[in-house]
Amino acid sequence: MNKFLRDTGIHMRRNILLTLRSPATVLPNMIISLFFLFVYQGGLSGIANMPAFGGASYLAFILPVSVVSAAIGGSGGAGQALVRDLENGYFARLLLTPSSRLAIVLGPMIAGMLQLIIQTFLILCVGFFLGLNIKAGFAGFLVVMGLAAGFGLGFAGYSVGVALRAKNAQAAQAGTFVFFPLIFLSSTFVPLEMIQAGWLKVVAKINPTTYIFEGMRQVLIKGWETGPILQAFGAIGLLCVITITFAALSAKQAVSRD
Amino acid sequence: MAKGTIEVMDLEKTFKGGVQAVRGVSFEVGQGEFFAFLGPNGAGKSTTIQILTTLMVPTKGHARVAGYDVNTEPDKIRLEIGVALQETGVDPKLTGREMLIMQARLFGMTSKQAKERAAELLGKINLLDAADRQVGKYSGGMRRRLDLAISLVHKPTILFLDEPTTGLDPVNRFAIWDEIRDLNRQNGTTIFLTTQYLEEADQLAERISIIDKGKIVVTGTSAALKRQIGLDVIELTFANVIDATTAVNALQGIGKDVQRQDTHLKLYAENGALLLADVVRAIDAAHVHPTQLNVAPPSLDDVFIQFTTNSAQPQASSVTKEVIV
Ligand SMILES: Nc1ncnc2c1ncn2[C@@H]1O[C@H](COP(=O)(O)OP(=O)(O)OP(=O)(O)O)[C@@H](O)[C@H]1O
Ligand SMILES: [Mg+2]
Repeated sequence: MNKFLRDTGIHMRRNILLTLRSPATVLPNMIISLFFLFVYQGGLSGIANMPAFGGASYLAFILPVSVVSAAIGGSGGAGQALVRDLENGYFARLLLTPSSRLAIVLGPMIAGMLQLIIQTFLILCVGFFLGLNIKAGFAGFLVVMGLAAGFGLGFAGYSVGVALRAKNAQAAQAGTFVFFPLIFLSSTFVPLEMIQAGWLKVVAKINPTTYIFEGMRQVLIKGWETGPILQAFGAIGLLCVITITFAALSAKQAVSRD
Repeated sequence: MAKGTIEVMDLEKTFKGGVQAVRGVSFEVGQGEFFAFLGPNGAGKSTTIQILTTLMVPTKGHARVAGYDVNTEPDKIRLEIGVALQETGVDPKLTGREMLIMQARLFGMTSKQAKERAAELLGKINLLDAADRQVGKYSGGMRRRLDLAISLVHKPTILFLDEPTTGLDPVNRFAIWDEIRDLNRQNGTTIFLTTQYLEEADQLAERISIIDKGKIVVTGTSAALKRQIGLDVIELTFANVIDATTAVNALQGIGKDVQRQDTHLKLYAENGALLLADVVRAIDAAHVHPTQLNVAPPSLDDVFIQFTTNSAQPQASSVTKEVIV
């Protein structure tokens, strides 16, 4: 176990170093997410005067969208890092060491998760700068960070799974974009009650992203209430179980000796 | 006990899709021995190395490396072996030093030990100047040398080298030769090397197996192999391919076998000197004149060509073959 943690740490550190060394792989996504935050806040904040918003600030309402889109856009990094290793032969070099096999794929996933935690932190900082006030206080801040981290791990797992199967960089990136619609098939811009189309309402109810939005909004706007928060973490737990199982199965295949 | 040894029995590897890359290979390598696999493209050299280095399981047969079974004890084998694959395994975004440290850490060294070992190896392979540059900016030769150093981090008792000098200029090739010769002689490291270069096997290895189409054709010391073909070679060079082709036809029936590569001809015969007059008469009658002519005992090159082409057409040893090496 000790060796496993040590190996994971070594692989994680390398991946963090690589991310820091090529900021161009992270910055565009970060900037786009902040851009969304500014544009939605600037262009749509008027609708927060409608009664369905219950007097909430639109900034607090839209911030989770920025957080989640940054997470989805940034989660491809873990998979791409592995594809790079596969392509330049370093993956085989790692398999020739006594390193734990699981640590080899977990390292980039955790590095990817940390990247998303930092992204979320920066988005919140910009939010504070724009006047964000978290209703549930510091605990609320931790909930938003925790949800973003979980979401990040879930998507990093997915991107690693796709990368190890497809073994090419484009597929690894395209694989995560498939999930962009999830952001918009949800209570993205207006509360669930205000969604007009019946089909969209149904889709939004099934979409786990909705529960993440709701959980974050709960602590940002209304204050601490256990129900929606648990639902959000539940949705993320489910997502993680599915994607990490997928990653583990793909990894097993990639390190197999057949 | 069996530290530093390799034992292979009836090894076979059939890939999904049916390619039989290795078809019943058996050999043994003793502790401290320098052993070479010599074979053309697609012979099964890399496949054999991947099986012995735990990257792949064989379809059939057995192999023990350092006394451990490749099927059931890969973890133990990994601690004993150093491997430089045909495709170098380096991360272009890391520096040479970082790669060595990372490798050392994965083999269980502390951060301090890893740094010391990295510096020591960088000095040894003459890369101290480039140590803190990203590997992506290294030349091919530097990358190969680094790859070799990475495989030595944990002081392996057996070293596997898959075509370690392919694509290198002579300076880099000799540097690598010196390094691995030292490892073998001074540290007693067992070395399993594959190569397409006959000169390389001849220079370095104590024992050579020639492998072709997944089978070992012959094994022996380079001297024994040369003796085994037992033929002299009459070499002729012509001004152009047309003359050379004409000469090939004119020389049919003289000696055992004529082979042409571009403008260069090799005629194999049991006693070259005696046949020389016949050869000169035959090409003179065909009105072509060599720019160079000499008689020599066989080189390892000739052994290689003889064995690999004969294994393709076992019955056709006196037919003209065009050999592109
Ligand atoms: N993963 C694979 N799947 C299917 N066939 C393969 C695979 N790897 C190798 N082969 C085939 O197996 C045969 C032996 O390949 P191998 O790489 O062992 O040859 P080699 O002796 O190393 O050749 P070279 O000198 O070109 O490196 C070839 O026909 C090759 O195409
Ligand atoms: Mg090969």
